[in-house]
Amino acid sequence: MTLQTFSDVDLLRRMIAGEGEAFAELYKRRQAGVYRFALQMSGSPETAEDVTQEVFMVLMRTADRFDPERGSLAAYLYGVARNYVLRRLEQDRAFIPIMDSTEEGIAPAMIAEGDPLDDLTRSETIQSLRDSILALPPHYREVIVLCELHEMSYIEAASIVGCAVGTVRSRLHRARGLLLERLRAARERSSVRQEVKPLRCFA
Amino acid sequence: MNCNDFEVIAGDLSKDVLMDANLREKGLEHSASCADCAARLEEERVLTGGLRLLAKASTEEAPANVEAAVLAAFRQNQIVPSTRTSYRRWIYVAASAAALVLIATLIALNASRTQKPELPSSQATTEEKTPGGTVAQSAVPVPRQSERNTVAAKSTMHRTEHGGAISQKPMQVETDSNAITEIATDFIPLTNREALAQMDGGQVMRVELPRSALMSFGLPMDMERATERIKADVVVGNDGLARAIRFVR
Repeated sequence: MTLQTFSDVDLLRRMIAGEGEAFAELYKRRQAGVYRFALQMSGSPETAEDVTQEVFMVLMRTADRFDPERGSLAAYLYGVARNYVLRRLEQDRAFIPIMDSTEEGIAPAMIAEGDPLDDLTRSETIQSLRDSILALPPHYREVIVLCELHEMSYIEAASIVGCAVGTVRSRLHRARGLLLERLRAARERSSVRQEVKPLRCFA
Repeated sequence: MNCNDFEVIAGDLSKDVLMDANLREKGLEHSASCADCAARLEEERVLTGGLRLLAKASTEEAPANVEAAVLAAFRQNQIVPSTRTSYRRWIYVAASAAALVLIATLIALNASRTQKPELPSSQATTEEKTPGGTVAQSAVPVPRQSERNTVAAKSTMHRTEHGGAISQKPMQVETDSNAITEIATDFIPLTNREALAQMDGGQVMRVELPRSALMSFGLPMDMERATERIKADVVVGNDGLARAIRFVR
């Protein structure tokens, strides 16, 4: 029986007993989710690295406090990551530029079927969507990241955020609404741009 | 279903997640008959598609240096948590024991204080001054003015007619002992004698007053020492009114 087949809780027990391999396996299994969550929440790879490191340091220090009956280990790690990310966002708030509503938002067409520039459009779409998510207030951003990008259930998201399931549902609804507003605005800007075609440059 | 109801479920409809089949059917029916809601559903589907695209494209992982740092930290801090747990538990036990001992000591101290009035009359009188000088000894309950025996202190705040606030520190006063170590005038009534005689009980409070207060009661005073303060015992009735005063030296 290899460590890969063990559950998170089993690995945690072994880790508590001092087994380094169990901790390494746990890290390999959970680091990507934690890192992506921190990255999608902060937009900063440096912050995501710091948060990931902190999360596993906290796990080392407080592994014996984890209660599997209160939720999964993944949810516990996301919860710790969330606390660190929000703290960092709070600290860095003064340095985050305010997103201008006139900037490029979500691309007008999400997927252009059969378009030769499909790859380019796809990458632009992804980037503009990332930017739009980062422009959301943190409490809307986190539910979009957890429920839409990490495909968590409302219950899991509620346990991580520490609120009621209904709150997660309503925040998600509102967050999607805000993203759609940006989508509409981007579409309008795009149509205006298409109407104005430069014919000649005199410079 | 109306447009408002549709608005609520539009997100779930676009995601094709598990939902009430009846609600889903009604929603789709409504979107088929309402152009605005159909457009809204299309927008939601585009958004859902975009978010799924983003989720699929998000394949980032923490850099190798983070893993190295975390694993190195684990190796360095390889303390078996069970030991840490038991160590922490011992701290809690020791702290609880210390708290219990402290509480027991306080209770014993308090009990011994309340028993002191029954001790022989050789107990010394204590007093406490406060900044400003108007405050003196704590209150001493007495059954009657004439029965100035050993009395127990109370830790209640009172105010004399002369405006002196009394300290809250409980203490014992052995008035017979005071008679030996202190010279005091007779009690001078502050109300009529009849009211004094009808007093059921009260407290004797040690206060400090300006020496000039002696003149208020017709007592001689050395003007050169007018700025000094003088001790006095004030009899305060249960109603809080000062009934009598005596000056102590």
